[in-house]
Amino acid sequence: MRSLAGVVLLAGMVALAGAAPSAQGRGRGQVPSTPKAAAPFDLTGYWTAVVTRDWRFRMVMPPKGDYAGVPLNPAARKVADAWDPARDEAAGEQCRSYGAANIMRVPGRLHITWQDDQTLKIETDAGMQARLFSFSTPRPAAAAGWQGTSAAQWEVLPGFRGQAPLTGSLKVVTTRLKPGYLRKNGVPYSAQTTMTEYFDRITQPNGDTHLIVTTTIEDPEYLTQPYLYSTHFKRQADARGWAPRPCTAR
Amino acid sequence: MSRSAHSATTLAALLALGLTLAAQDAPAPSRTGLDLAGYWTTVFHQDAGLATGGGMIGDYGGIPLNEAGRIYALSWDASRMTVRQQQCPGYVIPYFYFAPQSFRFWEERDPYTQELIAIKMYTQTSEQTRTIWMDGRPHPPAYAPHTWTGFATGAWSGHILSVHTTHLKRAWLRVNGVPQSDAATVDEYFTRHGDRITYVSVVTDPVYLAEPWIRSVDFVRAPRDPAAWLYACDDAEQIVGRPDDVVPSHLFGQNPFLREYSKLRNVPLLGALGGPETTRPEFMATLAAATDADTLPRLRPVPGPSSASAVADPDPHDGQIHVWPVQGNVYMLVGDGGNIAVQVGDQGPLVVDTGAGRLSDKVVAAIRTLSPRPIQYIVNTSFHPDHTGGNSALRASGRDPSVIGSFFSTQFADAGRGATIIAHLNVQNRMSAPAGQPAPTPPEGWPSDTFVQGRRRKFHNGEAVEIWHRPNAATDGDSFVQFRRSDVIVTGDLFTTTQYPLIDVKNGGSVAGLIQALNDILDRTVYKAQEEGGTMIIPGRGRVTDEWEVAEYRDMIVIIRDRVQAMIAANATLEQIKAARLTVDYDTRFGSTSGPWTTDMFVEAVYQSLTQARPAARTQ
Repeated sequence: MRSLAGVVLLAGMVALAGAAPSAQGRGRGQVPSTPKAAAPFDLTGYWTAVVTRDWRFRMVMPPKGDYAGVPLNPAARKVADAWDPARDEAAGEQCRSYGAANIMRVPGRLHITWQDDQTLKIETDAGMQARLFSFSTPRPAAAAGWQGTSAAQWEVLPGFRGQAPLTGSLKVVTTRLKPGYLRKNGVPYSAQTTMTEYFDRITQPNGDTHLIVTTTIEDPEYLTQPYLYSTHFKRQADARGWAPRPCTAR
Repeated sequence: MSRSAHSATTLAALLALGLTLAAQDAPAPSRTGLDLAGYWTTVFHQDAGLATGGGMIGDYGGIPLNEAGRIYALSWDASRMTVRQQQCPGYVIPYFYFAPQSFRFWEERDPYTQELIAIKMYTQTSEQTRTIWMDGRPHPPAYAPHTWTGFATGAWSGHILSVHTTHLKRAWLRVNGVPQSDAATVDEYFTRHGDRITYVSVVTDPVYLAEPWIRSVDFVRAPRDPAAWLYACDDAEQIVGRPDDVVPSHLFGQNPFLREYSKLRNVPLLGALGGPETTRPEFMATLAAATDADTLPRLRPVPGPSSASAVADPDPHDGQIHVWPVQGNVYMLVGDGGNIAVQVGDQGPLVVDTGAGRLSDKVVAAIRTLSPRPIQYIVNTSFHPDHTGGNSALRASGRDPSVIGSFFSTQFADAGRGATIIAHLNVQNRMSAPAGQPAPTPPEGWPSDTFVQGRRRKFHNGEAVEIWHRPNAATDGDSFVQFRRSDVIVTGDLFTTTQYPLIDVKNGGSVAGLIQALNDILDRTVYKAQEEGGTMIIPGRGRVTDEWEVAEYRDMIVIIRDRVQAMIAANATLEQIKAARLTVDYDTRFGSTSGPWTTDMFVEAVYQSLTQARPAARTQ
């Protein structure tokens, strides 16, 4: 009997654990009505890039052909070796390195707001770009763009036995990208690219809060394997340093 | 009631109980989060070449180095890796996850409660096991040893594992000379998304960083055992015949490789040198307008006063004596000035140094907790009052049965009544005075058993004890003590973790003798693995260490000596040498601008001992 009782108790716990996740801090049974209300943590506000990784590729223009670390195939290398910023300028495509697959790596600041209850908006001062993360089924743009189309969802892990859910991540999948550069020196990504991102927030003992963006880029045309990087931003109390500036190819 | 009906009722009750439990307010936060167990491999898509190649000289962009860190890195010579102790070090936590290697993570749980005790991580390249304690235990005291992996405690913050690490060895933030001090702490965050972990590290180092340094790296799950889990490294003579007081380094402004990286990667030198400003987006504009002239002032120390140490003294200064078990039969007592070592066993304790004498009653009481027998021997490593101040009291509390009943007792009524104090003759000479003259210390505290040659030995408490006199080091009477079975060396003033070496030139000290003494200590140490463990070191002041810290200390003194020597060769005056801030890259760790032993006094002692050209006579 004891073992059977255990099985049933366990079943009850599993059933509870498998219940629809609710946002942390809300009473159980109250399913938030909108993604904005369901946010397990607050992403809004101003954030500044802290450039400590890939510094030489991000803070200065890397030499042509310096694509170390990016798992490029031969076709991509050929494209990168033919990079010509003057050609991009002439074509009005100075924003090639400001597309979604690289914009979070461009040194600058982010301003994150809720455009509406279903859409999170990230604006960048570098290149003056705007990314829209849609929690409802995103309506594909008529044409591919630098920032593509992004579908977002909160990934919240349910807690066991009545515990609050574990704080979760924001997962964003971006497609329909206009071909651009993974690095400013012409390392390419194609229109076939799919980018998956997780946004997490950490708070250090000294009170500093950072946004951690974990990125996976899959590009069957130019990459031999998924390209992985993670990027961090420090939360600012205000808009200090926010300096919108246009894209540059150099 | 039928059996089945009974069961159904019970099940319903149990299910209700489960629901009731679920409906209660959430209990204390679970210590369990996501499962990290398995094999993981680092992905090098970011900063390619830095991990596998160590980074080029002069590649410090994006590291918030302060002046001390920058000058240290600029002075670092890659040939330093040929020094024996530099050949096989382990990976320190700020570097650990950014090195080229695979990991094995697993959990350690209490077998009865299944509570999570620790998360463990083994690394492929450096053969190290890291433990992250998850059971809420406190961090050890400041005088405890430091290790490559430090002491780490973790907690789940939702789905993120947060870890705080202290007690790290001094090491490298990047293997191109960018230093990390032993005062550094690390806050870490492990976040798992499917078969990928994003690891974020925030290093805080008051010695070498102007602000915390945040970085991230990614691991992917390895589907099978990566194998090659061992690290076959053994040090050897890489430069045959090189004297052991040679440590390669570059003088200020004379690093010939400085601009190689800058030129190859199109990075303006101003950015390559790092600093907190280089991590900020607005620095791009600064870089665009940077000239070489902007950079030159950063290649040398900024003129001005020297800095004081940014590191807290590990002595709690709480009026108590603290006991730390070092290894084997040997303990360290902290709290009364210089460190006190106590060896215990079947015979009476052998005590090395007696502290300042302000808390001698508590010292004696602490020793009684280690051994019921009275103190039999006291060894003084120096005549300095920080090491001999408790001589009288500790001697009075002891007894030397090896003398009682011997022929000595027929000549001296008080023979053996009190511990025997052993020291080099020069210690007795410095503490006493010729008959008729006032002595600097009371006679009951003078060494009663002196030696004049290089080595005194005893077999006591079941092990060989060797007392090695090192002439003209900190003074002319220094000794270090080696417990051979316990594998512990007590250094006295020859080595501390808290300050520049007190080179007492007036009393026979010299920088050459001190370097020789440190090399003599290193000749007697053996590390267990990766420059860690094995022979343990009790310094004159500060925390327990092993040979790595002694070697780093030796290297520092050699490098500073070479800088002073170079200025002497260029006919600089003592004032010019002091003004040149030749210790700038060590001041935030060891410097002092006030008190009994300042940075200026140390530099002056080096200068004096070099200009006096005192030979460091070696007696064996």
